[in-house]
Amino acid sequence: MSLRSQLLKGILDGCVLAVIAKAPVYGYELSKKLQDLGLGDVSEGTIYPVLLRLQKQALIMGEIKPSESGPNRKYYSLTHEGIVALEMISSEWQLLSVPINALLMKGEGTHER
Amino acid sequence: MNVNELIKQNNEKRENLNEENKKYYTDLMLYIRTKLTLSEKQAEEVLMEMLDHLLEAQEEGKTASQVFGENPQAFADELIEQLPAEEKRDMVKFIGQLAFSLVGWFLVTRGLVLLLFSNFVGASTTVYIIPTLIIFGLLAGIVFLSVKVIFGLIHQSLFKEKSTDKMNMIKVGLFGAGSFAVILGANYFIRGFGPSFEFPWSASIGAGTVFLLVSWLMKFKTKINSTM
Repeated sequence: MSLRSQLLKGILDGCVLAVIAKAPVYGYELSKKLQDLGLGDVSEGTIYPVLLRLQKQALIMGEIKPSESGPNRKYYSLTHEGIVALEMISSEWQLLSVPINALLMKGEGTHER
Repeated sequence: MNVNELIKQNNEKRENLNEENKKYYTDLMLYIRTKLTLSEKQAEEVLMEMLDHLLEAQEEGKTASQVFGENPQAFADELIEQLPAEEKRDMVKFIGQLAFSLVGWFLVTRGLVLLLFSNFVGASTTVYIIPTLIIFGLLAGIVFLSVKVIFGLIHQSLFKEKSTDKMNMIKVGLFGAGSFAVILGANYFIRGFGPSFEFPWSASIGAGTVFLLVSWLMKFKTKINSTM
């Protein structure tokens, strides 16, 4: 496993929740959106265990309905608990990312003037 | 959408996969399906999602190992870990329906055999309650074990480079022969004691039909429930 995908693993649940929060998506659509965001480093299939886990925790729910292109797809949307969890993950990430950025980005000149 | 429809659609869609992707996906599917404790509905749903995904990826020229990773077994184990267990209620229903249908077919067959052959061989229509119950218990146990053994063997044999088919065939053969010997032995040694009653062919067919009807109704009811 590459370093980048190891780092991503811990926060992938949060990323998936954030994408679903914008609009209900089905599996393939979700992986496309993650890739378009630049998060293509995990293999596409990795989202399925994540989706199952989030369903089990009742943070998202899936509903099978016809898609725009015709065939049935399972669309995921956030539950109330999911919205709360996403807010919590976002604020935790803020708390972590500020000091980590300051620590790891020194010397790149990001903080100078 | 109910489980049977999902399975049917899966069979149809799978035909559109190319050779390599089909092998990868089918192994993954069998590995998950032979894990009998999982919620069947949830498992079939995620299998359908992944099949749809793979079909779209195939259009873009990707392979299954690019989509789901180089290690299908590890990936499948991750899915299995996250899938919820089948609800006890559904499990009991399923086994109950199976038992009714088995007993039903047994009674109908017994009735027909008695009707057609009793003139030639003079078979007895007397049923001894306790030996019959013991043999039925043994049969049920063996059916349950066979399902476990065969599914377990399939589950273990997937994703292997080297084929273990021959070894497995020997194992299943030995298991079958052993079960047969147990039933034959039980039939021979456990009989003709305790309370008994006459059970003619007509009653056997009648009772069997009732059992089959109940099993059919149970199946019908689950089907209605799962579409709602």
